[in-house]
Amino acid sequence: MTWLFEPGWWANGTVRTALLVGFIVAVTSAVVGTFTVMRGQSFAGHALTDVATAGGAGAFLAGVAPLVGFVGGGVLGAVAMDTIGVQRVKGRDIATGVVLGAAMGVAALFLFLSARTSSATGTTQLVLFGSIFTVSPSTLPDVAWMSAAVLVTLAVVARPLLLSSLSVELAAARGVRLRVVGVVFIVVLAVAVGMSAIVIGAILSTALLIGPPASALRVARRVGTSVALAAGLGVLATGIGVLFAYDSYYWFPSHRGLPVSFFVVAVIVAEYVVASVARRRTRSTLVAAIEPEGWT
Amino acid sequence: MTARGPRPWHRTVTAVAVVAVAVGLSGCNSGATSPGGAIAAVGAENQYANVIAQIGGRYVHVTAIMSNPSVDPHTFEVSTSVAQEVAQARLIVQNGLGYDQFMTQLESASPSSSRRVIDVQHLLGLSDATRNPHLWYKPTTMPAVARAIERDLATIAPSHAAYFAAHLARFDSSLQTLTASIADFRARASGTAVATTEPVADYLLSALGLVNATPWRFQADVMNGIDPSPEDVAALTRLIRDHRVAALCYNAQVTSSVTQALRAVAQSSHVPIVAVYETMPQPGYDYQSWMLAEVHALTFALRAHRSTLVLR
Repeated sequence: MTWLFEPGWWANGTVRTALLVGFIVAVTSAVVGTFTVMRGQSFAGHALTDVATAGGAGAFLAGVAPLVGFVGGGVLGAVAMDTIGVQRVKGRDIATGVVLGAAMGVAALFLFLSARTSSATGTTQLVLFGSIFTVSPSTLPDVAWMSAAVLVTLAVVARPLLLSSLSVELAAARGVRLRVVGVVFIVVLAVAVGMSAIVIGAILSTALLIGPPASALRVARRVGTSVALAAGLGVLATGIGVLFAYDSYYWFPSHRGLPVSFFVVAVIVAEYVVASVARRRTRSTLVAAIEPEGWT
Repeated sequence: MTARGPRPWHRTVTAVAVVAVAVGLSGCNSGATSPGGAIAAVGAENQYANVIAQIGGRYVHVTAIMSNPSVDPHTFEVSTSVAQEVAQARLIVQNGLGYDQFMTQLESASPSSSRRVIDVQHLLGLSDATRNPHLWYKPTTMPAVARAIERDLATIAPSHAAYFAAHLARFDSSLQTLTASIADFRARASGTAVATTEPVADYLLSALGLVNATPWRFQADVMNGIDPSPEDVAALTRLIRDHRVAALCYNAQVTSSVTQALRAVAQSSHVPIVAVYETMPQPGYDYQSWMLAEVHALTFALRAHRSTLVLR
């Protein structure tokens, strides 16, 4: 196995922190992402990553932990999107687009200001593309409780959420308060996006959020199975990403390692391709249910 | 090791930041029409601006482009006010080696046949493959730069040539204390291993006879604003924790969570920390006293095992 796990892998504190944070985030993203895909809110999820970018850049400016910025920015963006009408399906793309544009503008401003006033180096890289190997071990408890909060919240609203995701009319007829469910979900989505920004950067965090659930929904027949499968695929992608990034140090004579984000996203894409091929053989009922909605 | 070369893309100027601070004559009118018809001069970094001011005295009006010690000069972009300073300057001193790439861009944006530009890289005859751009830490650099400044100022204002020559002589003799301190340090501590977070002071360290045990890859990654590999971070952490280095030279001007973590390791392992800077800390320092303070801080670290976390 030494060819797979290069020297020092098991004893390296940086790797351990990266894996722990990465796995927790992957599981949370998979659960939240499954609902996101089913609700056709992938684009909203992507817009939230841009808001999280602004938050992350703002965190550097304010001198607080990046995680706080990513999550805080995402939640603010979620509230903004809800306020300007993301709930109405018709106006949803427009509201999302407006928030997305504004957020990137603010992110550009914050990155500019933090380069002018702070001594931090590599801010742009960390905010946009992630630096899981630079995450401080003290971030771990924060990641853990945020994940727990997200999962507990989802468990509480799971039934009405699922119902409203599959059929708005049916949910309304059953007395589901669509507005409340929608707001709760988008806030949960914002937290999940902010957390996955820690692992692979704000720009790429949609990949971890949408990729594994999209693959899982292609092959699974039940929501529960799909969530479990998505979590597994997310953990696998994160684990392989961290491992390959670590190993890549030994691949070249120059000992220049490659970034984790690249490997994570590459594995996610590979998983999706495999799932799409597998799906041709076993036509999933779940996909049939969500496909008319269409997803960007 | 790597042939990645000298032109790290980190210096592709990414964020705009400019605090232009007038060094030397106050009064601060802009450019060519400065008070009393003084020669408008620009130092891309404040250490070069400081030497221009020392040579030119009352006949020059110097502006430093990069002078904020809490800003990373590597991630720096120009504003219109800087463009104006450069356009009006008769004498410019810049580091080269991609460290202040924006200066070359500004100069070509406002061509002038009467402007004299001293590019320190070219002055020292260094190839583009030189991997450490922090040339001002090399003790032989500033005397050569000061001579070039004196020569160019005398060409611009021949009537004051004697004045500039006298100031050059004064500058050279003021460096004697530094030269003596370096020689003294070398005699006592030559061969001692130290670690760094960035190659900022590496030229000074080798002049002092110290051995930098930090992998170059790590230093270059931090300098370039990309994440060092976990292997290199672990190797450097072990060096510090196992006391195989006598001090950690910490870039206090450019930090990241990785360098801060290493600083914490050094503190908990009781390895003294020495703050080093990209540009001259202000106020109260000139180039000579800044370098002398760094040598003293290193002496203090090696002999008394005490840290210098901030140069004051």
